Amino acid sequence: MLQSLVPLLVDGLANAALIFFVAVGLTLVFSVLRILNVAHGSFYSIGAYAAASIGLWIVSSGFSPYLTFPALLLSAALVAALFGPLVERTLVRWTYGKSEAVQILVTFGLFLILEDLQRMVFGVQSLYEDTPMALLGITEIGGIVYLNYQLLLIGLAAVVIIGLRLLIRHTRHGKFLAAVVADREVSQTLGIDTNRVFIMAFALGVFLAALGGALATPTSGVAPGLGAETVVLAFAVAAIGGLGQIEGAAIAAVIVGLARVLAIYYAPALDAVAPYLVMLVVLLIRPYGLFGSVTTRRI
Amino acid sequence: MLKMQSVRVDIEGVQVLRDLSLALEPGKATVLIGRNGAGKTTTLRTVMGLLPLQGGKIRLGDTDLAAIPSHHRAAHGIGYAPEDRRLIPSFSVEENILLPALALKLPADERRQRLEDVYTLLPELQALKSRPGGGVSGGQGKMVALGRALMVARSLLLLDEPFQGLAPALALDYTRTLGRLREQKQDLTLLITESSPHLLDAVADRTLRIERGSITSAEGG
Repeated sequence: MLQSLVPLLVDGLANAALIFFVAVGLTLVFSVLRILNVAHGSFYSIGAYAAASIGLWIVSSGFSPYLTFPALLLSAALVAALFGPLVERTLVRWTYGKSEAVQILVTFGLFLILEDLQRMVFGVQSLYEDTPMALLGITEIGGIVYLNYQLLLIGLAAVVIIGLRLLIRHTRHGKFLAAVVADREVSQTLGIDTNRVFIMAFALGVFLAALGGALATPTSGVAPGLGAETVVLAFAVAAIGGLGQIEGAAIAAVIVGLARVLAIYYAPALDAVAPYLVMLVVLLIRPYGLFGSVTTRRI
Repeated sequence: MLKMQSVRVDIEGVQVLRDLSLALEPGKATVLIGRNGAGKTTTLRTVMGLLPLQGGKIRLGDTDLAAIPSHHRAAHGIGYAPEDRRLIPSFSVEENILLPALALKLPADERRQRLEDVYTLLPELQALKSRPGGGVSGGQGKMVALGRALMVARSLLLLDEPFQGLAPALALDYTRTLGRLREQKQDLTLLITESSPHLLDAVADRTLRIERGSITSAEGG
């Protein structure tokens, strides 16, 4: 029994790690900018396309295949640097303080633009680039084979949780982030440039989504439609954890990751709906998510 | 010092400040008295740049305040304590007080000096400094908000209804603190709003009355 549970757990956690990167970016952007970014999933798929393209180029140009590891991180950083400030300054900032309907329409428009942009740049075929996963190989424990890449994903998610906490608790800009989440106006009167905090938070959100996408390519490749699929899942995870909650997003991602893997192992037909069944149950019992509440805003 | 000339401000299409003009004298404490809805809070929020001007001018010395963004006003030495305290709940009391020093990039020794000054004036904050901002009482919160504003206030200190919601004993404490502040920092200019007259008689050099968004009378100074 235990022997079959451990691989299931590793699968589930690796799956959770990828969802977590996207969901925590979504939740971060929500708590700082107070907008629900429907286009958030597109940054995941753009990160995936960028990582796959750069990886394929590295391999085909005869460079060391080990360069595909930093390339994953670089792809996410490039996507964040390119799209973060640009999208926030030109589009998203006009929706601040507007009704949710306007925010959703504007970011949905952005989603459609980004989807077409991806088709124009990367075409409509699927890309596969699994060099990093192949390089890391496997570990055999007690007759069970684990993909080392999956263990790396789990480790990276832990690093991101701790890193975000440290950033918010102990760095100057992290404190500004927390202050703006708690009280935008007062932050301004104390000398904090809220516009810069918005750009930073949005770019960080884009980076986390793109990182999720980049890290997912070695395991699952990238194909058109990935962005839409991802954002819906990220919404579910953020809602389960409670919008604006970093640790909430992590725990919700683990629950959803495990639910999906359990469904795949025991009831494959339910794979796609498993996350939403979990969301349904959680929101029926706790309408503001596991860690969310109506009044307090924190990060 | 601060000079507002024919200032007009609308909130959601309703005119709240109507050609409001006032001039503060440097180093003096001015109390702005008026009923709820008269425009006291709006006046202070306008000085902080939280509301756009529909007309008129605001100057601080030679600086045209309307031309600089809200977050740069702290760098001009304007400290502001809003009526409802508005501390950052997840920060400790000391982190709340130090937040503007971080935003203004004050050098470490300057930051230490200002913090020490705040603790000298408000010794009760020293005992609270590790408590979370969300875990102090209303009265304590007012003191923390005052301390935080004092970190910034080099030239002008704006206090919005400091006695609102304070028990009489605490209000008396607060008044005494303001008295000590006046003695210690004689070049600091104060603008304090209040709805009930006479609470601040001991502190006020000058009293302005605001009604329906304009100054209607001035006493003293």
